[in-house]
Amino acid sequence: MAVTLNDTLTVKREFKTPHYDFGMPYWEATRQKKLVIQYCKTAKKFQHFPRPVSIYTGRRRDIEWREVSGKGKVFSYTIAHRGTPPFHGAEPYAIASVTLDEGVNVIAGMVHCKAEDLKVGMKVKAYWHPLDSGEHLLMWQPDKDAK
Amino acid sequence: MSLRDNAIVAYAETKVMKKSDRDVWVLMGEILESLLDKTGFESKEIDGLVMSGLTGTGGASMFWAQSTADMLGLEVGFCEQVHTGGCSAAGAVARAAAAIDAGMCEVAVCMFADTHVREHNGRNDRNYRRDWTDPYGLLGPPGAFGLLQRGYDAKYGVDLRALGKLAVTQRNHAIMNENACEELRVPITIEDYLNSRMIADPIRLLDCVMLADGAAGLILTSQKRAKEKGIKKYVIPLGYAERTNFLGGEGLVDVTRSGHEVAAKKALATAGWNIKDVRSFHPYDDFLIALVIQLEAFGFCKPGEGMAFVRDTDLSYKGTLPLNTGGGQISAGQAACSSHNLIEAVRQLMGEAGQRQVKDTTNALVTGIGWINYGRNWGTSAALCLVPNQ
Repeated sequence: MAVTLNDTLTVKREFKTPHYDFGMPYWEATRQKKLVIQYCKTAKKFQHFPRPVSIYTGRRRDIEWREVSGKGKVFSYTIAHRGTPPFHGAEPYAIASVTLDEGVNVIAGMVHCKAEDLKVGMKVKAYWHPLDSGEHLLMWQPDKDAK
Repeated sequence: MSLRDNAIVAYAETKVMKKSDRDVWVLMGEILESLLDKTGFESKEIDGLVMSGLTGTGGASMFWAQSTADMLGLEVGFCEQVHTGGCSAAGAVARAAAAIDAGMCEVAVCMFADTHVREHNGRNDRNYRRDWTDPYGLLGPPGAFGLLQRGYDAKYGVDLRALGKLAVTQRNHAIMNENACEELRVPITIEDYLNSRMIADPIRLLDCVMLADGAAGLILTSQKRAKEKGIKKYVIPLGYAERTNFLGGEGLVDVTRSGHEVAAKKALATAGWNIKDVRSFHPYDDFLIALVIQLEAFGFCKPGEGMAFVRDTDLSYKGTLPLNTGGGQISAGQAACSSHNLIEAVRQLMGEAGQRQVKDTTNALVTGIGWINYGRNWGTSAALCLVPNQ
């Protein structure tokens, strides 16, 4: 059954509350379409979503932010046939949990992808959707150049 | 004093309603009345109140348990609102027992009442969702379980007919349960499951619970006090454990693994059970795939063998491993703060389950699943081992 997926780019994104302050380096970097994520200097591992401390050590001082490639593989995905209220009428659309090359899973909407092409293990890269704030929303798109 | 020195001396339950025709406190009043009548306790003897915090009607109130004590005229030495989501019912039993052990109260009412369809007073969760999943339209639990089930499928393979068998087995139990939501007491087939519409592909409508209204409750006291009161029949909590934020200190977690790995092992060890000893299983069911993952995590079968286990096992009330004999939440309706499976296990061990009564009431195992975390499975996992006193 062929399903045409909606890229949901016309859906208005509204953040009713400010971003958590401890995640602001992420949002600031999206203004330049850069993906930065938290890295624990002691554990030498990445973590996502942003936390107020390293989840590996419990220490705030262990956290630094590192820019990453924004490339990875689909770990899992779901196709929403019933959206949340802002997405009503935009269904069906896909949301993927992607394992970055750096070893963390990042959940985001999928664009430029046909339902029949969407597979666990498929290579994807970042797609930056502009927001009114000047920030960009990270989304995933197929990485056709990936080997 | 320890957990097993306590006794669940009575249970009470309203019928599950698609939408309640009565106020939530009227339902609680009915539960209280029934619990007092069954045990012979007077309301003045109740000195503990443990409420589930998993409530849409009361959830926005920081003072839900205190307001309820006020409404019901209960003066208590222990007043508690449990906030472990769908683990709050089993967790309430453990907390009430712990409070009795600690001398904070002697006779505790565990109250599970919600009319979130009739009157939902909103919620204001502060968590990862506002920045990290809401902007993508990920629909709460169905969306999260969509990611979870697809992850399970990629690792082990999903047998949709096995999930369909679970749906049908639980539905047949609900049809035999006159307290189940009436709208759900209609037969379904595996084909009905397969053909039900997609909500969050691969999650179908018949994978999901339906919100409903209703109330339930228990009275816990020490076995000593129960005997003094002349109560002949009660249920003993033999082992309990819960785990919140399993592998929370890891960056990348296998979604097919849950805190039940830890909670099951600890609860079973406390009870002195081998998993093969379990005579009926009452696992938390918000989505069918959760049943399969729990069968694996508790050790009824190995990881990845849950689908085959479901195919090969008679899970009906008269089968080798009776499962959610009241219909589970998926077929009875998600009401009464998700306490349905706990109440059913107590009823079975008291031998009061009527036409769906299991033959072997040696013991029962109840579980909880609470909250949804980011790209993992669930936030809290609970396990409660129960035996009858006789």
